[in-house]
Amino acid sequence: MKEHDLTLGEELRRQGISRRSFLKFCAGVASSMAIPAAMVPAMADSLAQARRQSVIMMAYQECTGCLESLTRSFAPTLENLIFNFVSLDFQHTLQAAAGDQAIEAIQTAMEENWGKYLLLVDGSIPLKDDGIYSVSHGQSHLDSLRELSEGAAAIVSIGTCASFGGVGAANPNPTGAVGVDQIITDKPILNVPGCPPMPEVMTGVLTSFLAFGALPEVDRLKRPKAFFADTIHDRCYRRTFYDQGKFAYSFDDEGARKGWCLYPLGCKGPITHNACATLKFNQGVSWPIQSGHGCIGCSEPDFWDKEGFYKPLSAGQWGTAEGIAIAAAAGVALGAASAVMSRRNQDKISGGK
Amino acid sequence: MSNTTVTEIELDFESKRFSVTKPEERFDVQGDMTDDERIEKAMVNFAKDFGRVSATYMEACIHCGACAHACPFYEASGNPRHTPIWKLEPFKQAYKREAGPLAFLYKTLNLKPKVTVDELKEWQELLYDTCTMCGRCTMICPMSIDIATLVGMARHAMFHAGLVPHELYTVTAKAQKEGSPLGATPSVFEDRVEWMGDEHEVEMHIDEDQADVLVLMSSIEIQKYPESMAATAKILNHMGKSWTFRTDGYEATNFGMLSGNTGWQKDMSMKVIATAEKIGAKLVILPECGHAYQALRWQGANMYGKPLPFKIQHISEFLADAVDAGDLKLKTVNKSVAFHDPCQVSRRGGATPAPRKVLEALGVELREAESGGNMNLCCGGGGGVITIHRADTLRYKIMANKFRQLDSTGAEMMVTSCSNCRQNFDESGEKLSWGKDMNSLLELVAENLVEDAKR
Amino acid sequence: MTLLDFARGPAMQIAIIIFVVGIVWRLVGVWALRQKKDLSEPRQKGAWIGGIKGLFVHAWPYKPFVPKVGTQYIVGYVIHLGLFIVLIFGTPHMLFFADIVGFTWWTLPGGVITAVAVVTTLALFIALIKRLVNPVQRMISNFDDYATWFVTTAPFVTGLMTTMGMWPHYETGLAIHLLSVWLLLIYFPFGKLMHSFWFVVSRYTTGSRFARRGGMA
Repeated sequence: MKEHDLTLGEELRRQGISRRSFLKFCAGVASSMAIPAAMVPAMADSLAQARRQSVIMMAYQECTGCLESLTRSFAPTLENLIFNFVSLDFQHTLQAAAGDQAIEAIQTAMEENWGKYLLLVDGSIPLKDDGIYSVSHGQSHLDSLRELSEGAAAIVSIGTCASFGGVGAANPNPTGAVGVDQIITDKPILNVPGCPPMPEVMTGVLTSFLAFGALPEVDRLKRPKAFFADTIHDRCYRRTFYDQGKFAYSFDDEGARKGWCLYPLGCKGPITHNACATLKFNQGVSWPIQSGHGCIGCSEPDFWDKEGFYKPLSAGQWGTAEGIAIAAAAGVALGAASAVMSRRNQDKISGGK
Repeated sequence: MSNTTVTEIELDFESKRFSVTKPEERFDVQGDMTDDERIEKAMVNFAKDFGRVSATYMEACIHCGACAHACPFYEASGNPRHTPIWKLEPFKQAYKREAGPLAFLYKTLNLKPKVTVDELKEWQELLYDTCTMCGRCTMICPMSIDIATLVGMARHAMFHAGLVPHELYTVTAKAQKEGSPLGATPSVFEDRVEWMGDEHEVEMHIDEDQADVLVLMSSIEIQKYPESMAATAKILNHMGKSWTFRTDGYEATNFGMLSGNTGWQKDMSMKVIATAEKIGAKLVILPECGHAYQALRWQGANMYGKPLPFKIQHISEFLADAVDAGDLKLKTVNKSVAFHDPCQVSRRGGATPAPRKVLEALGVELREAESGGNMNLCCGGGGGVITIHRADTLRYKIMANKFRQLDSTGAEMMVTSCSNCRQNFDESGEKLSWGKDMNSLLELVAENLVEDAKR
Repeated sequence: MTLLDFARGPAMQIAIIIFVVGIVWRLVGVWALRQKKDLSEPRQKGAWIGGIKGLFVHAWPYKPFVPKVGTQYIVGYVIHLGLFIVLIFGTPHMLFFADIVGFTWWTLPGGVITAVAVVTTLALFIALIKRLVNPVQRMISNFDDYATWFVTTAPFVTGLMTTMGMWPHYETGLAIHLLSVWLLLIYFPFGKLMHSFWFVVSRYTTGSRFARRGGMA
């Protein structure tokens, strides 16, 4: 428990991180969130004073991909240290404890930090049949979410499932899955969508919370504007090819091999808001478009239900095309009917030709 | 060259126009019908003309207004109401409301209101005074809409609604009753034929029981240019043709068609058709008249109800064939000539090359006017317009344009092959001091026949 | 469902259905009307050749008419050609059609399409001004003329705004662009946009009728 009493600044000094490195880190985070450079010293001071933040992370109807993404690192980084500084009081995959003792840990954390802990959620929450389709320790995740959000300072929905329902909510949504903000309406909620989301975004959100005591500015879908304001299309390195009309039409044609724009192959870049075009995944190794696959729009709601990842954005969503054939037949019928009516009317008016 | 502007001309309303004097009161509305009865009659007759072709045209208009720029009436007046497609507005409205594919919608939502009597009265001027059905508008229309034919159809409704301009109605009624709009009754016709025969020492054939060729005349020629009869006779005799005039079928003009009474149109055509059949004619020659060609050559069979058992030719076509076949040898006329094409024979009739062949045989120097031939500017007198006093001002303006057009060729001699056009040129020429004569192609041929080269 | 999903899905389907139904209805409704046969003797056989010719002869005005209506024709062509180019050779549009017909084709660079669209939009505005100012057009114009102008211009304006990123919110703007096109499709069968079909029928009819007579149209 004593470790909780160190501030972040003290903790970092204990780890041997110089103030200079710390400032560089702050500047880096600040710039990635478009916070003005003048604010960096204030942010650094504030951050240095921060106490260990209690965080409870609940995994609901999820695939664990979000957790994998967040914890992915190839070398210890300051981000990892920040995560270390956060008191992750519960995370059922990462922690060693299991069973009743693990559940007790949640209760303890809640009581000790009532009104101050950060609740992180990944995975969607089924609503159908009283939430029976996603249960841990005999408690439905619906009940769990309601219970845990009562004492939370704020909730962060990690990943598209927690933000918008994600794959669980995809057509036909048999479990009635929804995102967190469809259930909890009386707490500040931040969505960090992505399938999976990017760890840098979490860093930025956490740092913001620790430094300023508040969640960053958000867009209509409650996503931090700093990372989700621009679309992939706005920042895509292949954008010049789009403008020039150079496209890849199949995955192994000349255009594909030359790295041309993937719009015809279904890239949803123009309607997808995320930071991967600039930050990329796995600490800047690559991202889908660089690897030659169009953006699937994974940080947007209902991205699974847009009639396929490989249909270009401008292609129509047809549902059943038989409708068109029926329409043509109907047109003939209507036309014939109107002609009959016209002839009858003609006869009526002219008294027979 | 005309040196009198149109505004300086005093319009003469007192003189007889086609034997109709200006009455104290114009009777532009005929009959005692109530407004409702008029509309009912109009709708009956509109409906008779709703067909695939007329419907296509009425659907196709895109309101571009280009037609105005081809219309001699609009060009002379500058009044947007004279836009050709606008002339059809009540007809279009009735069609869309009653017989179009969307008629049900238009009616239930009242998107196209019923045509009213006031609207038809307003449109009388547009359908009769300011349209000769010359068809020049079709040439400019990007959708190739045959507005002229539709105007003819719209006139059907107007006649039966009792909304024909006074003078046109009067001469039409006269034509139906007496056989001629100008008092050229059968006995008058006979007299004048004999007179021309004597005067010009030409053998006239009249009322033969049997002949290969039936020759028709228009009342304008009978009354005003009777030399045409002599000219025709001279040529046919020279060619050794078996031909005749017939007092039971001679009138080529068809005022039933012009006024819009299809019943009377049929009567007038049937007189000629029945006579031609009676005498076993193989060919009916139409005189120098424009609308006569439309009436018989193109609408005759439809009036008759079956294909006609004889050929029909405009006199200019007959002469062109004769010249081609070497049956007519003509003297050379060493003059430069500008030709005014009658709209109904050239553009609307399809016989544009014929007069040119004849002129070529006459050895003249043909100077084509700008916008001549199939593109020719209408003289503005056809279709009944010349009968209507109140249309005079605009008609003179149009003729002023015509004089300019023909004069600009620098030709010494002006020729046409329609006596109504000729009449228009004569009358307007006098009013506007044109200073030139309009000549008849037929008479020119007759005058320059090489007679010793007999067959 | 977002507005964009609605525009790309159900709205499109409804619009296309109404489009197809309406056009067939209107064409059949006219074509099935009676027509009296013309019993007059044709001057020449093969009037259908005249009909085919008739499709093309009015593509440009006859010489005496050029000074009067030439500009009008040019503005019209700019609009039609621009529409054609943007629709067929713009990549996103080509992909829409490719999804239906199953094959793709060569397209023009985005910048060229944008330039063509700008020129076309200008031509559309010029056409509107002409219609309002020219006394003949002003008199004969009705609701249909102005509604047609609007549903034709809206896709161009919204399309340009979308491609130039001028909307506050891109997806909404894209949805509005799509909806404006569906509005065009829905209105199409009921107004003068049907001239796209009628011009063939009308020109052919006149061409063949006049060829039959030997006259000129």
